Amino acid sequence: MASGTKSKGPSNPKGKSGSVNKARRSVVGTARKPKPWGMIMAVVAVVALAGGVIGYALVTVHDKEKWVVSADNQDPSDNIEGVVHKKYESAQHVEATQRVAYDQSPPFGGPHDGTWADCNGTVYPKAVRTENMVHTLEHGAVWIAYNPDKIKGKALNTLKSKVEGQPYMVMSPYPGLDKPISLQSWGHQLKLTSADDGRLDEFIKSLRENQYQNPEPGGRCDSQETGFDVTNPPPFVSGKPDPKDPNTVTMDGKGAKTATDENGMQSGTTTPPATGTETPPATGASTPPATGGSTPPSQ
Amino acid sequence: MFAAMAAMLLVGAAVGMLISTATGAGTDDAPSAESVDVGFAQDMRVHHLQAVTMAGIERDRTSDLTLRGIAFDIESTQLSQASEMSGWLTVWEQPSLPTAGAGYMKWMSEGGTHTHSNGEGGRTTGPVQRMPGMASTDELNKLRKLSGAELDTYFLQLMLRHHEGGKEMAEYAAEHAGKGYVRNLAEKVVTSQTNESNQMKTLLAQRGAKPLPAS
Repeated sequence: MASGTKSKGPSNPKGKSGSVNKARRSVVGTARKPKPWGMIMAVVAVVALAGGVIGYALVTVHDKEKWVVSADNQDPSDNIEGVVHKKYESAQHVEATQRVAYDQSPPFGGPHDGTWADCNGTVYPKAVRTENMVHTLEHGAVWIAYNPDKIKGKALNTLKSKVEGQPYMVMSPYPGLDKPISLQSWGHQLKLTSADDGRLDEFIKSLRENQYQNPEPGGRCDSQETGFDVTNPPPFVSGKPDPKDPNTVTMDGKGAKTATDENGMQSGTTTPPATGTETPPATGASTPPATGGSTPPSQ
Repeated sequence: MFAAMAAMLLVGAAVGMLISTATGAGTDDAPSAESVDVGFAQDMRVHHLQAVTMAGIERDRTSDLTLRGIAFDIESTQLSQASEMSGWLTVWEQPSLPTAGAGYMKWMSEGGTHTHSNGEGGRTTGPVQRMPGMASTDELNKLRKLSGAELDTYFLQLMLRHHEGGKEMAEYAAEHAGKGYVRNLAEKVVTSQTNESNQMKTLLAQRGAKPLPAS
């Protein structure tokens, strides 16, 4: 090596004797001072990837499992905002001539007609007697009720697309509904303003055929052997029933054909034939004269 | 380097998560052949399927609209539930029916310490040849030959006894089965069949007939 100044940069007035040291320092410095950007970027990229994948996996699994009905997740509708939950006694049956003083409108539990409305993806064009509709909920059906003045055209078609031909789905107009749409399953209700509300699908996913929430899993939706005529169902009766009418049944089941009180004791066994528990073929049949004949066709 | 190790761990965890979500997390252990779950599913299928048979006979032959509706309801519900239990047994890789001739209700014996009905009005701690409430072949054949009011009355008597007989198995499974979905179905069977029994008792009383003795 040639003697003389080895420093590469401009000569430093201070570093006369330390020019070798300075040179050494500058060599050592190049290894220590500059940041290892390559390594840092690699680590950051890996962390970002891992974070993204884990995050995605957690969200997807949680989202998927949130709606899966299982022993650990018996009511996925707990995840839906706005759902009203109530507990009701099941299997309290009334006759075709009786009316139930329901606590809700539309009701989603309580005494109901022994004959269930057909719920095989049935879209009823006219409003149907409520007592028959409530029975479908017991079997695991979801009932979409709508206000016929507010839901028409495209919105109506959207609702129909979720019901037509789908087992355990049923849809009917409900005159005077206080919201445009009301979804019912046994013990659950969700009122909506729009047929495009995402909660509609979530409600159906959570509760249709949910064997934990519905009292009679395996219950049938076909009605052909029950006396219910799906082409001419018993019509909707508006207004609350008269509490003084002996044919009015209250929510506790008093007056119902096979009501049970809290002790499981059967009441209603001693109901005399006059209230319709005898066995003429009309019992439980589809179009009893009392409610079928006098209602105007336009519902 | 610490950073490199941490990065490797994170990548490993990420890959692990991906795999577990892809294959469906949460493997469910199948109950054993001797479990309450399997025993109940197999035996109750036999019990349910006889109800389906009896209800089918009534549904086809009755002229009473109320009874036809009841028969239709029982037939459909119990057939559907029997299919549900069959599905469980498929996934559990167990036979869909109990071994022919081996007896029923062994799963209720708790190793010979727990008594249950013996299908003849008594109690036992071992397997039984006939579950309580089951109709005999003679009784079924009698049902097939009746008509009118006699048919309806006999159907109600057989079905009421059938419901009450099956209740014991369902109650036991509702309490002792391992799987939540088995306990749930058993519970629902108890509740809905109790309600149906009450209705049938009323209908029998209206016909001036009495229930059959328990079997």
